[in-house]
Amino acid sequence: MNPLLQMRGITKTFGGIKVLDNVDLDVRAGEVHAVMGENGAGKSTLMKILTGVYPKDGGTIELGGQPVEIDSRKQAAKLGIGMIYQELSLIPTLTVAQNVMLSDEVTTAGVLSIGAMRKRVAELVRTYGFRLGADALVETLSIAQRQTVEILKTLNRDCSLIIMDEPTASLSNRESKVLFEIIQTLKAQGIGILYISHRLDEVFELADRLTVLRDGVKVATVERGAMAPADIVKMMLGKELKAVGTARHLHPPSSPVTVEVDHLSRKGLFEEVSFQAYRGEILGIGGLVGSGRTEVLRCIFGIDTPDSGQIRFEGRQLTGGTRRRIMQGFGLIPEDRRNQGLVPLLSIERNVAVTNYDSASRAGIVDRRRERRLGSEAVERLDIRPARPSQIVSNLSGGNAQKVVLGKWLLRDLKVLLVDEPTSGIDVGAKEEIYTRMRELADNGVTIIMVSSDVAELLRVSDRILVFHRGRIHWEYSDGAVSEESVLLAASGLTPEEGRPGR
Amino acid sequence: MNLDSIKKWGTRLQMPLILLLVILILAIFQPGIFLTFGNFRSILLAISIYGLMVCGAIYPILLGGIDLAVGATAAMAGAATVLFIVNSGGSDSSVLVGVMAGLATGVAAGVVHGLIVSSFNVPPFLITLASMNIIYGIAQLLTGNKLIPILKPKSFTAIGGGSLFGVPSSIYILLVVATLSYLLLNHTTFGRYVYAVGGNPVAAKMSGINTRGVTLLAYAISGLTAAMAGIVLASMNQQAFARAAQGYETNVLAALVTGGASLMGGVGSLQGGMFGALLIGLIDNGLRLMGVPSQYNGMVKAIVVIAAVAFSAYTHHRDSGLARTRRWQPIRQTENRTARKEPL
Repeated sequence: MNPLLQMRGITKTFGGIKVLDNVDLDVRAGEVHAVMGENGAGKSTLMKILTGVYPKDGGTIELGGQPVEIDSRKQAAKLGIGMIYQELSLIPTLTVAQNVMLSDEVTTAGVLSIGAMRKRVAELVRTYGFRLGADALVETLSIAQRQTVEILKTLNRDCSLIIMDEPTASLSNRESKVLFEIIQTLKAQGIGILYISHRLDEVFELADRLTVLRDGVKVATVERGAMAPADIVKMMLGKELKAVGTARHLHPPSSPVTVEVDHLSRKGLFEEVSFQAYRGEILGIGGLVGSGRTEVLRCIFGIDTPDSGQIRFEGRQLTGGTRRRIMQGFGLIPEDRRNQGLVPLLSIERNVAVTNYDSASRAGIVDRRRERRLGSEAVERLDIRPARPSQIVSNLSGGNAQKVVLGKWLLRDLKVLLVDEPTSGIDVGAKEEIYTRMRELADNGVTIIMVSSDVAELLRVSDRILVFHRGRIHWEYSDGAVSEESVLLAASGLTPEEGRPGR
Repeated sequence: MNLDSIKKWGTRLQMPLILLLVILILAIFQPGIFLTFGNFRSILLAISIYGLMVCGAIYPILLGGIDLAVGATAAMAGAATVLFIVNSGGSDSSVLVGVMAGLATGVAAGVVHGLIVSSFNVPPFLITLASMNIIYGIAQLLTGNKLIPILKPKSFTAIGGGSLFGVPSSIYILLVVATLSYLLLNHTTFGRYVYAVGGNPVAAKMSGINTRGVTLLAYAISGLTAAMAGIVLASMNQQAFARAAQGYETNVLAALVTGGASLMGGVGSLQGGMFGALLIGLIDNGLRLMGVPSQYNGMVKAIVVIAAVAFSAYTHHRDSGLARTRRWQPIRQTENRTARKEPL
């Protein structure tokens, strides 16, 4: 059978660096073809070449046996290639029909044929058996339903190939099931699907074949069932290179428990999460984005309230909000440092001081001397550059900005530090410095709970590791060996050899 | 002197230099009228009223909000004070109580604004614009839509009509209130929190700041100084009138934005606001002296506001690196916007 899409020898270079090197990929009609690989493996670049965002430097693309040149998104759409973006591109205040027909409006003598457009969308919905009203406002729909609208949009353009980039990242279990059903319908209609996902469990459920990319090179294309998930992870990592350096032996802590999370649940986000953190340890939390890790941290810090369950600190149940938590010795380094951690147009000094006015003021009057000392102390101890406390933080590099966020908590009597993605977008040197500071804090008796999507980082920094999967603690590593491979498998909800199931 | 400090002094001297330039132009073109004692006095009298409003209106602006009801609040407070004094026979002690009552109406209006703005997902300009009409309505009900003259006691008329060493008393009041506002903004934790909440409400909340409390207080202060301005104005004019301070919100806004405050919040200073008030006062005066018909007056000020707002929005966006967000969105929503990134 002739493949629907055939890409051969695709090569792409950015500034002298080969991000795609002679990659082949084909998709058959009515097939789900998964593309897997770590960050930077070249998955998105390949998709962007296919949708006309980037021009390719070498190779050929054939659609239905005909060679094609794709030089723009418009051209890609014309050729029948549709893409469901991670960031949904719908207009919430318009109806389903209006969104589907947006920029493909049907007009009669320049006037919109509203009835014709509604009929067309209703027909599409019926043909594919979607459960969706053409007149429903998009803002009233769930995320899964919005994805259905995106899919309708591509179907309206008679797409024969649909690319889906991490479509389930923000879907609940049940919503994912709905999406999978839709994918089955599309398959039955002979539409080819390129499915990009980090979730091994999903890929093994859906895909007919899967292709693994690593460092811009295609490692292999295999039929489903020909290989076990663990082998796929090995292919993604290139085990002969990585596994040696990153396997690590963990040691169970011997210090007293400080933070106790007890059967914590928040509807749709996480369920029955229980764990303990010890004085002076760094507890790493791994898992995929959307697995409930960040949300648990937010509850511990008092930003959100859990639906049920308890959080205890040194044996006492915690109540109240963020302000109270800070007074009890908690600190949070949020995942989005620019939008959640810093006030961009204020100076380093003012940013550091903002959590410290309990000590830097008296009766509401700011103690300027103490405030200044906070600023210069943070700059000095964390080696922030430029070393000027009056510097506005919006101009700082990622690493220095993160040090300022750390500085907000470092100068307090800190007992528990919650850290979310501490080094995303930070250069290697600053990364090491931040790890050193975290270790120093832990050695001084601070309990650190660190959420990270970077498996190498989890292994490098943590004393123990919990892995979340779909809102639950799926796997736990508290002593013995742990490898990147094992953590990746656990994050996908599979069963690795090391560690043990979480409670 | 390095480049940085030159830049810093450049921004600091910007406003005084612009003021000097405007004064020079007026002095050259209209020396006979502009450079008279009487003219300066009338400029200062006008400035003292909306200068007082600026002292409080800057707080909502720094939070990324706005209080458009300052003119109406002034009218209501002036009317309440005058009515109280007139109705209780005009004794000196009734002046004190009347002024207190007037100030209380202003604070009450501000607290209501603050509560609504901090509780609901509504843009502050809409809330205060709507409330402006309600407050004017209250002022009309109070005055029965008539001029209420108040010629005595002297303890009241002296508030805005007296002078000391040839300087109008209202200018002294402005100096005291501006100093207090400056201290509040620059030397208290509340002031620090205003800049933090205005600069990034999500980060402020995650740093343990009571953002609701800060918002409430900011609007209450705006109401308070608007009421002060209204009482001083009533005393100056020796009458209360429902439309007394109508349109003053434009002058207040113009003063703040020309003084460097950003409507996006987090940026601005009281000194800047005061310079802005002076500038607007001079422009008003200059246009009148040059015989420009009054209908052009409002147009010129509006153009100044548009230019200043466009400029400040441009620099704010460039400097902060924050996404251009609608500020009145409730904190909960923006905060939950977790960055999408590739896992593992």
